[in-house]
Order: sequence, then C-alpha cells, then structure tokens
Amino acid sequence: MALPLPPGLTPPEVAFLCEMELVTVIPRQRLEGLELLGGPSPPLNPPHRASLPLWLALLLKRQRRANILPPPWLTTLSLTALLDHETEHAESFSPPPRLPPAPSPTTLPFTPPFLQSSTAEAPPDALPYHWLELGEMLLEGASDDFEEPDVVRRLLRGLREVRMAKLRRGVEVLDAAGGLQMNGVGGMELSEGRAFIGGVIDGLRKINASREQARRDRDREERENGFGGTADDDYDDDEMDMR
Amino acid sequence: MDIDDLLAEVTADAVPQETRDLQELTRCWVAERVAPELLVWPESLMERVLARVRSQIELVEEQTGNMDPKTNFKLIIIQTELERFKFLVRSFLRTRIAKIDTHPLHTLHLHTSQPTLLSPSELSYLTAHHALLSNHYASSFLSQFPASLQKLDDTTGGISMIDSPDEHKAVFVRCLRDVGVVRVDGTEREFEMRRGDVWVVRWSAVRQWVVGGDCELI
Repeated sequence: MALPLPPGLTPPEVAFLCEMELVTVIPRQRLEGLELLGGPSPPLNPPHRASLPLWLALLLKRQRRANILPPPWLTTLSLTALLDHETEHAESFSPPPRLPPAPSPTTLPFTPPFLQSSTAEAPPDALPYHWLELGEMLLEGASDDFEEPDVVRRLLRGLREVRMAKLRRGVEVLDAAGGLQMNGVGGMELSEGRAFIGGVIDGLRKINASREQARRDRDREERENGFGGTADDDYDDDEMDMR
Repeated sequence: MDIDDLLAEVTADAVPQETRDLQELTRCWVAERVAPELLVWPESLMERVLARVRSQIELVEEQTGNMDPKTNFKLIIIQTELERFKFLVRSFLRTRIAKIDTHPLHTLHLHTSQPTLLSPSELSYLTAHHALLSNHYASSFLSQFPASLQKLDDTTGGISMIDSPDEHKAVFVRCLRDVGVVRVDGTEREFEMRRGDVWVVRWSAVRQWVVGGDCELI
C-alpha cells in the first residue's frame, strides 16, 4: 500500500505533471465546455483557437478532433537561436521565461505546469520548465502539426546534450553546504540529475559532519558567553588592516 | 502596492477555485514526494478535492447509461480527468503512508506535539499498525529478553532507538516570493533567494519557507 518509489519525482511522474501544461488547439469539431475537476474547459468552436491541458489536447488529437499548435519556442528558428545561446554561454542555462507579475501575500502563486508557457502566446525566446517532455510528447503525438518535425527533433536532441553536459560539469562545484543555484533547469533534467547531485551533497555532508558539529558548538558557546568574536578573531582582523 | 499588484490580484482571483485547488494539490504532492519528512495534512484542500471527486463519480454513474455518442465522448473526457485526479490523490496518500511506515514512533511523537500533522484516518492507521507490530514482536521474541531490553523506544544511553528522517538532506526548491538571505546552519554558506530562483539546498535551511508557502519543492 505504501508507495515503493524513492523520494524525488520519477520521469513518468514528471511527464504526468507536464501533461497539465496548457497548449493551444485548433478544434475540428464542436465540443461544449465541460465542468472538469480542475476547472471548466472552454467550449470548442472551429476554427477558433482554445487553450487546453496537454492530456486533453493529445486525446482530441488522437481522435482527429483537433490540431495542436506547437508553442512559439518549439520552432526551428527559436530552437536554433536557443541552441546557439546555450553553446556560447557555457557556464549557465539559458534564462527561463519571464516571470508573471508578483503575487500579493494573500494570493496563491502559480508555477509550472500552470503558467501559460506553452500556448501559442508564449514567449519564443525561452525554454519553459517542461520543455523537453513537452517537445517529446508533441513530436510523438502530433508530429504532423509541425512544419519540420525532424529538424525540431534534432535541435531538441542537441539542446538536451549541451544542457546535460553543463549539468555534469556543475558537479565540480558541489560541496557539503549545498546552496547551488540552478536557474533555468528543466523538470526532466532535474529528475535525472537529482539522485546524483543530492547523493554527492549528502555524502560530502556526512564526511564533514564532525567539523560542522564543532562549528555549531562554538557558535552556541559564543552566543551564550555574550560576545561576538573571540580574541583570536580580533587579532586576525588587525593583521588584515595593516597589510 | 501599485497598479501592477492590484491587476495581478484581480487576475489571480479570476482563476476558478478548482484550478487553484489543482495547483495546490499538485504542489502538495510534489512536496510530499520530495521532502525527507512528513508534511502537515492539508485538511481543507483535501476535503474540497475529495468532495469534488465524489460528485464527479456520481455524475459518471448517472450518465453511463446514455448511449448518445456525443455525451459518450464527453464522458470519456470526464473519466480520463477523474482518473488523473485519483492518481494524484492516491500517490499523495501512499507517499505519506510510506513515510509513516518508515518512522512510526517519530511520527507519533511529532503528532502529539503538532496535532494537525496527520489526518484522522492516518492516525488510526498508525496507532493500529504500531500496536499490531509491537504485540507481534513482544509475543514472538521480545518477551524472552530481560525486561530492561524489551523497549522499542529506548532513548537512554545517548542513542535513541527512534529513527528519524534526515532533515539536512539536499532538496531542490523554487522560490515563489523573495525570502531574503538563507543561512545554512553549521557552515559559512549564506545566499540570497529571489523570486523565480531554483536552488539546491538543505531541507533544514529552507523548511520554514516551504511550509509558509514562499518556496516550493520541485
């Protein structure tokens, strides 16, 4: 009964999340709006475009009831530009899409897969969180809606390799304290890298555990004694000033 | 608060409650799958979601007899979505049970000091399961040990018998609101987390913001 999976999302679970992303469809048949558990779905009136979650769009596509409009970043032009950017900037991922306006303290902030980052109005110059999964799923289920599916597939593979190489190179800066910034990382990449990155940080932490404990004890002692630095520290500071 | 904030608030309120609940449920599920320890049971959210699932099942049951192909297709969509929801809820519950099973005594102790941690059915599961297990241990071998060695929750001698989860485990977080400077306890590491940032960091260092809803686990 208990879930036998290890902590951290597995690739099928990431794909499940990705299926909640909204995509733009061009319906071929009428369909009334439905009261779904995740909110009402818009009525479909050909040829008006509508935004639907990916799982529903793929279902309609399979039954030839609709066509899917690939998001603007999933075109040959955008992907080529993104690939160039990724290759030129070897040390970081390309920046993620611009954030929506900041939520006020009382409202619920929305994050992927509930941001509209894969509809026809999405920005063409940034890879959203679920870029790899979404690209693969669209290429598999709706390849005839792409202009050049093979070129797109090749560019996606290129992007994936460049970014995986960066992720692997990032391992060199891992240390016991953690605190590593990874803006722009994708959901599937994270799921692949999680076990390794987490394992390295946790392993290093266990090796350093005694040193950390000593530091914690010293900090606590200093707090209890009521003064900030020890005499040694002050001496060191003076030395620095003289140089 | 300027005009952008006001506009953002209006658009956020325009999102139907169902969609907001789906976002929240998804976030809870991911957090529970990733976090090393059990998180607080989201009672009102689960009540709303389960009530909706129940009424949707009733709707499906009522309309299954209808042979009109158009209604039939609508029903397929509704059922597909229902299955997706059921998967989310089930996976969420099973993850919690897995954590309860790994650290039963620890969870029980936490629940006494923080009574919102478990749902009523989780609590009855935990107490019943634990009672069965300790009875079984006692009757099969513990009763033959000297009385001083029969305890399952001995904490004397500096070593606790109660296993607890590793709260310093590295997790991946996404910042939902600016939280300012984060300090990693026991090290020199300090950094600032801004909205939209993704960080790999110890669970103990960011727990307060994840629980408070300013960060989410990914």
